[in-house]
Amino acid sequence: MLQPLTVVLLAGCAVLGLLAAHHLLRRRLVDDPLILVGAGLELALLVQLVVGLAKSGAIADGAERATFIAYLFTVLLVVPASVVIAVKEKTQWAMAVVLGGALVVAILVARLQQVWSLNV
Amino acid sequence: MSETTPTPDDRGAAGAGAAGAPGAAEADRPHTGHGFGRLLVAVYGLLALAATGRSILQITEYFDRAPVPFLLSAVAALIYLVATIGLARGDRTSVRLATVALSIELVGVLVVGTWSVVDKAAFPEKTVWSHFGAGYGYVPLLLPIVGLWWIRRTARATAATDAASTRR
Repeated sequence: MLQPLTVVLLAGCAVLGLLAAHHLLRRRLVDDPLILVGAGLELALLVQLVVGLAKSGAIADGAERATFIAYLFTVLLVVPASVVIAVKEKTQWAMAVVLGGALVVAILVARLQQVWSLNV
Repeated sequence: MSETTPTPDDRGAAGAGAAGAPGAAEADRPHTGHGFGRLLVAVYGLLALAATGRSILQITEYFDRAPVPFLLSAVAALIYLVATIGLARGDRTSVRLATVALSIELVGVLVVGTWSVVDKAAFPEKTVWSHFGAGYGYVPLLLPIVGLWWIRRTARATAATDAASTRR
């Protein structure tokens, strides 16, 4: 859809995932840097939502367009949900949840790109 | 969030010592939604979302194409939802409900998986359970097994904790 944005998003997922992995190994819990990286990624995902919605008309097939828009919204839920779950957990599993969340965002972003490239 | 870097308390060591205080004992009780359970709940929540989204789209946009798989998607979505809530709540009734949901899920993914391999014509469209959840990295096949193991493990840990506290 917008190559540079997708690259930025995937890089953001990688940073969040690496930070979570680092915290997991160091037995740390959710802290400010993790929240900030998560917030930054969420902001970029919001940009993707706006850009995606504006460009979604380019997808001709109705069902595919609906899928595309559904993914745009769904991906917004993952980071906040995993951080909320992680804040409540006081063991290393907190960071496992954030790591999983970062992976899921990356998969969804890649999937969005796939739906876009197959239909435009 | 906090100023200092928090470190996870060592549950194994804290569990035995804190059992005397009612509040602390409550927090240390084995719970299906704590520890590894958080990851399990997160993954179940995600699958519930994915299956719900997919079934809504399939049923509203092209139901006529393959009604059976699409209805199965909806059933799977409902089961994932029950499992998510059951594991997250973790009380006796919720866990029992989650156990039932996970058992149905395991049978469902095995039956539908086999069915979709044997009779390819019945599943022209992907669903969460067809081909043993291959479209979702086989997560739908592994998840009920891991989930049932986790429920069993938590139940055993609870029994052990209860036995220890009555002996005191």
